Amino acid sequence: MKIGIAQISPHLGNVKRNFELHLDYIEKARKNKVDILIFPELSLTGYNLKDLVEEVAIIPINDSYFRKFKSLSRNISFVLGFVEEKEKGLFYNSAAFFSGGEILHIHRKVFLPTSGMFEEGKFFAQGKNIKTFNTPFSKVGMMICRDFLHYGASYLLFAGGAEIMIVLSAAPGRGVSKNESFETSQMWELMGETISRFSTVFLVYGNRVGFENGAVFSGGSFIYDPWGKLLTKAAYLEPDFILQEIDMHEIRKVRKRWPYKRDDKPEIILEALKRIVREYED
Amino acid sequence: MKINGPFVEKILTRFIREELSKFNYKKAVLGLSGGLDSSVCAFLATKALGPKNVIALIMPYQKMFHQDVKDAQNAATLLKIQWKIIDITPMVDAYFSKYPTEDKIIKGNKMARERMSILYDFSAREKAIVLGTSNKTELLLGYGTIYGDTACGINPLGDLYKTQIKQLGQYLGVPENILKKVPSAGFWTGQTDEGELGLTYEEADKILFMLVDQMVSKKEVIGAGYKKETVGKIINLIKKSEFKRKMPPIPKISARTVGHDFLYPYDWDK
Repeated sequence: MKIGIAQISPHLGNVKRNFELHLDYIEKARKNKVDILIFPELSLTGYNLKDLVEEVAIIPINDSYFRKFKSLSRNISFVLGFVEEKEKGLFYNSAAFFSGGEILHIHRKVFLPTSGMFEEGKFFAQGKNIKTFNTPFSKVGMMICRDFLHYGASYLLFAGGAEIMIVLSAAPGRGVSKNESFETSQMWELMGETISRFSTVFLVYGNRVGFENGAVFSGGSFIYDPWGKLLTKAAYLEPDFILQEIDMHEIRKVRKRWPYKRDDKPEIILEALKRIVREYED
Repeated sequence: MKINGPFVEKILTRFIREELSKFNYKKAVLGLSGGLDSSVCAFLATKALGPKNVIALIMPYQKMFHQDVKDAQNAATLLKIQWKIIDITPMVDAYFSKYPTEDKIIKGNKMARERMSILYDFSAREKAIVLGTSNKTELLLGYGTIYGDTACGINPLGDLYKTQIKQLGQYLGVPENILKKVPSAGFWTGQTDEGELGLTYEEADKILFMLVDQMVSKKEVIGAGYKKETVGKIINLIKKSEFKRKMPPIPKISARTVGHDFLYPYDWDK
């Protein structure tokens, strides 16, 4: 099967313009016979919205843009990021997986970075669940940006049977050195390699580019295979469009060789976590 | 503190291009002093926008800094950008003939604001965004004139320390005599930044990097081998100049107030 990553620079707060941008890439991906196309975090709205959050929020069931996306998803599956008004006045940093004319799953960002340059906790409600879902291709799990840096999130997807993990990201670059990329890009790549290898899954990381209020999004989207091998990496800083064949049979091969999945003990982890939580609540 | 020249160039040229296009500008205008920061900025702007879209204003006061004017002209000629010499002596002297002072700082601040006023005038005439040339060291130490050289539309160099700008300048091919020049705000003949601050940029940048970027405590910085007085002085300069890095405070009265909780992105609707 073929994965596509649209490493775009969304227009901040302009849903209509971003909708057009999505249509362009969906069409381009369809022509290239992509099975799943990945857009970055908040691809439909831009990232640093602040008080604009409520103005760009979408209620999926009766939204006209989403109707169009659903109809397009009859020919190609895709994942995009948007602001979701799930309950009145509650706004989530969400990702929707469109396929076969439907939304198969919405993931709501659980870990909202709120420190230093980040203030998501100020404007967004927190997602409450991290779970896998079935797609025509395989069992998939989604995370949004910071979710991926909390390895508990990937573990839940691993335990839930994911074979493809998709990370939608709007990661600003931080820290320059003598290297040809940001220190933070190296951090994401390290996590990509680690999680793909030790969860024995395909790991697709779609980041964005462009500037918002001076902050630069670093790009460098990537795909790792279940052996922890880098299959492809997009350009840093520039818009890019990645096409990558992946072979789902690799999951079987790697899991015979490295039976982390077979030997996983979620029930022990669950009980241990319960004890830990109970103890700190006392 | 080492930076990768090509990578930083890519970030900053993309930044300049993208900001101009967001705000619907094609051209940029900057004050070119013949010093390192404004030269590096001119080099970046030329790479980002092409020489036709960069306007350099060289704005000397009296006959001071003759060599700097020549260096600025040479840099502009080398880059093939548009440039103009505007002598600020008549405007500045007209004011001080009415309100005389011997205070060199007051005089220098007036010159910096005169230059700012001309840059903004040209911004409107030429439909060109004003490029700031303040570096991170100056911004943190408050070594700049509020609403003078710190005023600009965008500031590409604001997150690079002086010593990093020198590295970038070397990579970009800024002429040797500009790279080697002793940094000066140009308020008076013989003034040097390092003389006035009482420390070298190399030392200041290392200490600032620890305090600001690495969030190391004062005690630990001193423990790393820096003089207590120097570290203390730098911390004081940072604290004393916070007002130069912020919009002025507004007393909050209503439910939603500019500067408090009216929180829109800078790139609103861009």
